Amino acid sequence: MAEAIDLPAFAAAFGRAVHAAGIPVAPERSARFARALALAPPARRDRLYWTARAVFVSSREQVDAFDRVFGRVVDGLADPAEGRGDPNAPPPPGTRAGPRAAPPHAAPLDAAGEGGAPSPSGLREPRPDGEEAARERALPVAAASALERLATRDFGQLSPEELRALRRLMRELSLAPPPRLARRSRRDRRGRRVDLRATLRAGRRTGGDPARLVLRRRLERPRRLVVLCDVSGSMEPYSRAFLQFLHAAVGGADAEAFVFATRLTRLTRALRGGQPDLAIERASAAVRDWSGGTRIGASLRRFVDDHGRRGMARGAVVVIVSDGWERGDPALVGEQMARLRRLAHRVVWVNPRKAARGFQPATGGMAAALPWCDAFVAGHDLNALSAVAEAIATPRSGR
Amino acid sequence: MSPAAHSGAEAAVRALVPDVETLARRLAEVDYLADEGLATALFFALRLPQPLLLEGEAGVGKTEAAKALAALLGTPLIRLQCYEGIDAAEALYEWNYPRQLLAIRLAEHGGEPVDERRLFSGDYLIRRPLLAAIEHPGPLPAVLLIDELDRADDDFEAFLLELLADAAITIPELGTVRATHPPLAILTSNRTRDLHDALKRRCLYHWIDYPSAEREAAIVRLRVPDAARELAVDVAGAVRRLRDGELQKPPGIAEAIDWVAALRLLGVRRLDAAAADRTLDAVLKYREDQQLMRERGLQRLAAGAGDG
Repeated sequence: MAEAIDLPAFAAAFGRAVHAAGIPVAPERSARFARALALAPPARRDRLYWTARAVFVSSREQVDAFDRVFGRVVDGLADPAEGRGDPNAPPPPGTRAGPRAAPPHAAPLDAAGEGGAPSPSGLREPRPDGEEAARERALPVAAASALERLATRDFGQLSPEELRALRRLMRELSLAPPPRLARRSRRDRRGRRVDLRATLRAGRRTGGDPARLVLRRRLERPRRLVVLCDVSGSMEPYSRAFLQFLHAAVGGADAEAFVFATRLTRLTRALRGGQPDLAIERASAAVRDWSGGTRIGASLRRFVDDHGRRGMARGAVVVIVSDGWERGDPALVGEQMARLRRLAHRVVWVNPRKAARGFQPATGGMAAALPWCDAFVAGHDLNALSAVAEAIATPRSGR
Repeated sequence: MSPAAHSGAEAAVRALVPDVETLARRLAEVDYLADEGLATALFFALRLPQPLLLEGEAGVGKTEAAKALAALLGTPLIRLQCYEGIDAAEALYEWNYPRQLLAIRLAEHGGEPVDERRLFSGDYLIRRPLLAAIEHPGPLPAVLLIDELDRADDDFEAFLLELLADAAITIPELGTVRATHPPLAILTSNRTRDLHDALKRRCLYHWIDYPSAEREAAIVRLRVPDAARELAVDVAGAVRRLRDGELQKPPGIAEAIDWVAALRLLGVRRLDAAAADRTLDAVLKYREDQQLMRERGLQRLAAGAGDG
């Protein structure tokens, strides 16, 4: 690349390739890349790599996708997915598939839309064409009795239409974790703290004498809500409904959403904003281990290590949706639940199988987790879900 | 800002760091060993110039990178530690009310008229980090470290974005303060929440990995100069093995340094199981982690364990 190549054109083309791989690239980034190349002409391949990466990548999750594009564009390699190596060695020609087991980066949107993405069996729903949309609109007219029936229908037995109706109802569910005191304060006559700035400003009117105290009180803010949902094989009948629940939680309560089977996937971003169908489709496409085996303990550890301990779970209300069927060592579940509970404000466990007759929390994982739960609820149908909302809203009693 | 001052600063930065190699060398001179990726990212942060967002596990040297950059430039490191609910009064500026009040009283005693303009002048202003960074007189830009931005609320993030874009602050009583030498902004995040896309768009990004064993041994020897070379190599290897294990808190570089320092105090020259056992407190900070490693056998950490 030492020859005089057209830098802006190369930069723009490279930017397009990165964008096509699902990493959002605004034109300004390509321009920045061109400036960077002009500033320090990359004499070596790894310098070019680090230059492009610093400019185009903006989170660690994007590194794998970026590496593949870089390999393809710069080395003209097809898609060598088997790159390995020392995390610090400059990337080998081709790619550097992260040694940290590739966190799933969201599949490009268009791929998901065109049915090109791997779709979890039975979870894909048809795109809302005209007819579908009309049916959704017609639903409110379809009599309250249908809704009534829906309220007590087990999530595991819903038809696609019912699921769709359910989504709207879930959005109306108010998920409100108990508040905590914020650092920020607001003027309030019944406040406790004196606002010096405002008091003195008011005092200027009385000749510099702060005659009247202006008081402030701390604001309250809602606690963070974190929902971890099991999407392993044993939970499959419920996965779709709870994915909708995650969507409602992210949209309505600004929750953080994760799913897990054999590995943990963060879905907050995929589920945020936009059209609900698309958001849910995007989220399903991002999960690689639908209906896989269950490793609850390992997934919880992943969560606590990578997110919870760093602050996400601190003072938060953490909701775990799972039947507690653990393939791995139940002792690990207990251990990780203990850690989680030390961090969180409250831990709520939702087990849709709890409602079944003769249910005993005897499955290894469930039994190990229970001592560390502040609440244990069923959440298998819409009525039960309001009990979940209640459990989320309950403040912590003295443990 | 005056264009002359600005281009002067640019020239000075260019003279100091003409290319990535020089930057890496100068960083090493201030005892910071950056690998190729980090050096490249820092180079562009300085020369484009563009704010840089650094992420990485705790203890890989995110904050140190900013410190080293400030040392290299010979300018102050201005640090803003973010937390939930941080607001303008804590990040930007605040009037020094007690002092203003005192001045008013003094003026009254002396029978002088109170000059409000003087009360709201720079003398009565408490400069918080962001204002201090904007006001930095040069000739080289100050390094503004915005630490753990993910802990602040997102409206603070939006406010910060605006400030970084304009390099100016408006104080109602004083007017607009415009930076003559916009600070070099280094942002760090622990990823407890997603930062806004708008902010990420403005920033360069680099994920700092743990250093390779050789680099870590070199870093340790820089910090504990009188430790034996073999000991530093042993510890770097052991720490690497600890990071691969499933620990709650994998040791960072700081722990490796502490560990070598502790071993050196005991007069240890090579790391063996007995020495590791006596000094485990320096490197593992969770009781469960210590227990786990003792159960698995500390000889796994000892010298040469991973070489074969």
